[in-house]
Amino acid sequence: MLGFSNTSLSNFLFWATQKRWFLYAIIIGAVLLLLPTPQGLQLEGKISIIILIVSLILIIKEPVPLPAVAIFILIAQIYGGVDTVDGIAKSFMSDAVFFIMGSLMLAVVIIKQGWDSRIALGILKFTGNKTAGIALGFLSISAVLSSFIGEHTVAAIMLPIGMTLIRFTSANPSKVKNLSAVILFSIAYGCLIGSIGTPSGGGRNVIMLNYLNQAGISISYFDWMLRVYPFIFLQIPIVSWIILKTFKPEHRILDSSVRKLVIKVARSRNITGRNTLTVFIFIFILLGWVFFSEQFGLGTIALTGVFLYLLGGFVKWSDLNKHTHWGVIILFGATISLGTSISTTGGASWLADKLIYFLGAFMETIPFFRELVIILITTGMSNVLSSSATVAVLGPINLNLVPEMLNIGLLTAMSSAFSYFTAVAAPACTIIYSSGMIRAKDFIKIGFRVGMISILLLIAYVNIYWPLFNR
Amino acid sequence: MKILIAIGSKKFSKPTLRLGMKVAQAFNAKTTIIDVGEKISEFSSHLVELAQDQMESWDFDPPGVDVLEWAFNYLSDNKLIDSKQIETGFPKNRLIDDGEDRKLVYLSGTVCEDVNLILRNGDIISELREEVQFGKYDVTILGKSRMRNMSHDLLQYINSSVLIVNNYDNEKFDKILLPLNDSSGMMKVAKYAIRVSLALEVGIEILTVTNEKDSDLEGRSKIDKIVKLIRRSKVKHSHRIEGGDIVEQIINRAGKDKIIVMKASSMSPIQRFFKGSIPLSVMNECDVPILIVK
Repeated sequence: MLGFSNTSLSNFLFWATQKRWFLYAIIIGAVLLLLPTPQGLQLEGKISIIILIVSLILIIKEPVPLPAVAIFILIAQIYGGVDTVDGIAKSFMSDAVFFIMGSLMLAVVIIKQGWDSRIALGILKFTGNKTAGIALGFLSISAVLSSFIGEHTVAAIMLPIGMTLIRFTSANPSKVKNLSAVILFSIAYGCLIGSIGTPSGGGRNVIMLNYLNQAGISISYFDWMLRVYPFIFLQIPIVSWIILKTFKPEHRILDSSVRKLVIKVARSRNITGRNTLTVFIFIFILLGWVFFSEQFGLGTIALTGVFLYLLGGFVKWSDLNKHTHWGVIILFGATISLGTSISTTGGASWLADKLIYFLGAFMETIPFFRELVIILITTGMSNVLSSSATVAVLGPINLNLVPEMLNIGLLTAMSSAFSYFTAVAAPACTIIYSSGMIRAKDFIKIGFRVGMISILLLIAYVNIYWPLFNR
Repeated sequence: MKILIAIGSKKFSKPTLRLGMKVAQAFNAKTTIIDVGEKISEFSSHLVELAQDQMESWDFDPPGVDVLEWAFNYLSDNKLIDSKQIETGFPKNRLIDDGEDRKLVYLSGTVCEDVNLILRNGDIISELREEVQFGKYDVTILGKSRMRNMSHDLLQYINSSVLIVNNYDNEKFDKILLPLNDSSGMMKVAKYAIRVSLALEVGIEILTVTNEKDSDLEGRSKIDKIVKLIRRSKVKHSHRIEGGDIVEQIINRAGKDKIIVMKASSMSPIQRFFKGSIPLSVMNECDVPILIVK
């Protein structure tokens, strides 16, 4: 056909099939671009919303590598006249991007330090040998740790401990399916629950802080904790109970496996002075986050920690380079830049106005409807996208929905952690799923229950606890 | 001759491996057994790798290694690899990351040439296509997927002959069904059918579906040549000529006890993409293993 060989035609068809979502996204974008600009929306605002829709399709379906999506977002904004080259470049690099970069690098250092065996001993001392206690212990420790050092780091540290306990209980995974689900979901959900606790718990929190700062609202590390941390303590026992009820474990007591795990840990390598020094450096970073983040930014402090670890030779640059996904960092930079553009071009307020136009009557008459809408949209998106990308995209829109920006900002960040329904949304869930012990349908089974309860709890929490701050 | 056998799980891949190794034996082919693991979202891929590194420090294998170990055990139990390698067991430590996003281990075969085990991650069609292009495989063997698109994509994009192992049970298959017409390339298909029939020690049933009343002399002579080749190879065979719908006839004759060996469509890739093809329809509807020869 037209001189093309069958091989080249076949190659083209394969490319088109693989990239079909890219083609759909571009067609949708082109059609939207041809439609007249709605009243009350500037052309730049319309273009930024179109770029948002196209990039959401590209991020969810991954027809092109994520760095390519990031590049698309940046160049489309410039070609579309949304902002100048300098403006885009400026919004691309922010403290939130510094933080995501630093936190991914810190994860590499922390994971390699052998703290996992000490944590294992700590959990077992604290929980005893009953399955219910161990599950609660895994969930609590994962939650508390992830509130400071990020969910992905904690999930990677906790997974081998959980898996070893399962393996010591039975070498045949099919005989301990429910026990595996209990332990692994306790780890993953613990990480998700905890990740909202402090600004450093996840990239999404820092992205929201960034947007709040842009809107002239400031909240300190400690204030964030004061407003959000009690919700973690509320969720821990309830979620642990739901996990145990959903997957009734085959063994109620894990006596011998706990003993074997203790012996294995005791035989593992000793903690050296250098390992202890890494802990001190991390405590230094943590104190920096708590006391100096408003002044210097969370990202700067995280990168200071990375610098110290490199300076002291605690980690090699080659290791950091190998395990840091630069594409994801670039993508977050681009998404935050797009979020900023949507906000400055009036796209965010137009979208928020439309939402209020359609749902405003319900928001005024039905109690808590506004919170419910925000939580449902954020939770829905974070389960197909990623929590950080969700906040980067939805943040500016949600902040325009109501006058109480701080509450809505925190609510968005908190509900973006409800990625309970799928294995792909949150790194902690993907990490436990990659163990091969959990099926995709298990996420639906437990995710629905935990998700529903978490949504109801959050609505009650923000309406009962947060008003106390306004008195 | 090079053969690629794709396996996915210990639970479902045994028939694929069994038939695949028999075919490899028939062709004395250099064989590669590949496990393509699930695609991980790019968002988390580096973090999952980091977690897996951590798992390895606790003596856990990366996902997929257990499937390769199972394949190794199958090869050992059936003495399809060198006895020295059987004695040393699965060479987990010799799984080499070759820098092309795949891990592999080389073994020496006994009944066929070398046997390699490969572990890859990603979209199955893309990974198999890449592997076939990279290794220049002649036949790709894999189990039937429940996804209808998969058959289409395999025929459309995998640049080798494809054997889909569907409901394969060693005992019940007593014949090869060879749909034959006068199109070019049929001789290669017949040769494949003969090799497979010799390996499985079964006969061949040749099926010609024609709706033409007047016999085309040139076409008949081509078919006769192929029948002659089969006769000379001393394979037990029969030849049926039927009228009617080709797909329906092939499905009916194959029943549940014949392995189909047929030629790939000669339509252009564009036509195949939009209109489908006879081999694709047969592949989708039949309940037996089917080898589509390209």
